[in-house]
Amino acid sequence: MSYEDRKIRILIGKPGLDGHDRGAKYVSQILRDAGFEVIYTGIRRSPEQIVDAAVQEDVAAIGLSLLSGAHNVLFKRVIDLLKARGASDIVVFGGGTIPPKDIPGLKEMGVSAVFTPGTPAKVIVDTLKAKLCQPA
Amino acid sequence: MQTDLPTLTEQAKGGSVRAAARLMSIMTDAPQRLAELLRGSHDWPQPRLVLGITGAPGSGKSTLTDHLAHEYRTRYPDRRLGIVCVDPSSPFTGGALLGDRVRMMRHATDPMVFIRSLASRGHLGGLALGAKGVARVMGLIGCDVVLVETVGVGQSEIEVAMSADLTMVVLAPGQGDSIQLLKAGLMEAGDLFVVNKADREGANQLYQSLLSALQLEAMAKADLRAHCSGDLNPQPNVFLVSASQHQNITALIDGLEAWTDREQGNWAEERQKQVIDEVRQALLEEVRRRVIRTMGTNGKSQSRIERILSGETTVERLATEILTEVLK
Repeated sequence: MSYEDRKIRILIGKPGLDGHDRGAKYVSQILRDAGFEVIYTGIRRSPEQIVDAAVQEDVAAIGLSLLSGAHNVLFKRVIDLLKARGASDIVVFGGGTIPPKDIPGLKEMGVSAVFTPGTPAKVIVDTLKAKLCQPA
Repeated sequence: MQTDLPTLTEQAKGGSVRAAARLMSIMTDAPQRLAELLRGSHDWPQPRLVLGITGAPGSGKSTLTDHLAHEYRTRYPDRRLGIVCVDPSSPFTGGALLGDRVRMMRHATDPMVFIRSLASRGHLGGLALGAKGVARVMGLIGCDVVLVETVGVGQSEIEVAMSADLTMVVLAPGQGDSIQLLKAGLMEAGDLFVVNKADREGANQLYQSLLSALQLEAMAKADLRAHCSGDLNPQPNVFLVSASQHQNITALIDGLEAWTDREQGNWAEERQKQVIDEVRQALLEEVRRRVIRTMGTNGKSQSRIERILSGETTVERLATEILTEVLK
């Protein structure tokens, strides 16, 4: 199936306690304009809420936005829960205020890409298209 | 991706949320497989009630859906509930932002609630192609009630009335005068009406105008049939609620439950008719896809269309040409 035929669905979630959703909403908008179907789930969600929603929605990817500094813990929790639900094929990417020194560790645990502030929109879209739109 | 229907069906019945979610994706993504899907699903258990919830953008459909879900779950803790919510796809990019879940996240980790967001994908009428199929999968996994929330509609997107057992039209104060209530379309499609935002100014006035408009409509219909022996002053099904304050939601569910108990026997036949309509929609979608594939999208079809503007051909001749090409 071609990209045109099968719409790619992405869930955007904000785990943890910070309420700064401008970045998450901005990325949702970018992805919407790039032709993705974005399921936006709002602020202050638990990893359980995000993963359960992603499985029900049969998304291809989960984007996690986090500015509280708890990424090492919460991203890992999301990835562990996906494994537990038999859904590790769902691609996880992240963004927010994440120190560069933490990025290798996040990738090691299975985060597919990390987009820190200043990442051009086109880079986000192109990266996700390359990861998600392989011909089936 | 596993797409074998019998396998997925077995897994979904056995409790796999992933398999159920995949089945739903097949329902929305593969209209050309509808025949196989319908044959495969004819013996699936069906929900007791499929409730369509429709109304203008901002009338409070998602919040109402959330509160109905909460009330159903409290009343029947051991029964499963399904929610299908549709938001619009961009006609410009094909992308979509599906945001109805934001107001329903308290149900996200409730294993007895299955929520699925759908993008309309160019489908007019307020629903998405395959929305009925998604509701059918919810029946398969044991959902007792399925709430189907449409996109925010204008006046004529009433497809949900052909896809649900009952259609609820949600109105909120500040959206127009009593003449709006006399117009054709949406107001005719409602089996019941909810005036939401009762805590806001103008709600009571809207409730009164709606009651009188519906009574007027019922009288006009009886008059047309020229049999005035019936109930000339039937009580229309109108509820004044405030979803965000959880006000009068209990009465609304009482009404819905009484209606379901009373009418359920008559719904089987309706559901059969709806299947015909569903097949028709899928057929049209497949034709549309094939034509667009041949004709090309906006940019690609320009040179063809210019031939009409230059007088070289006519709309009719070009249409025939395209259809001939489709069949090649």
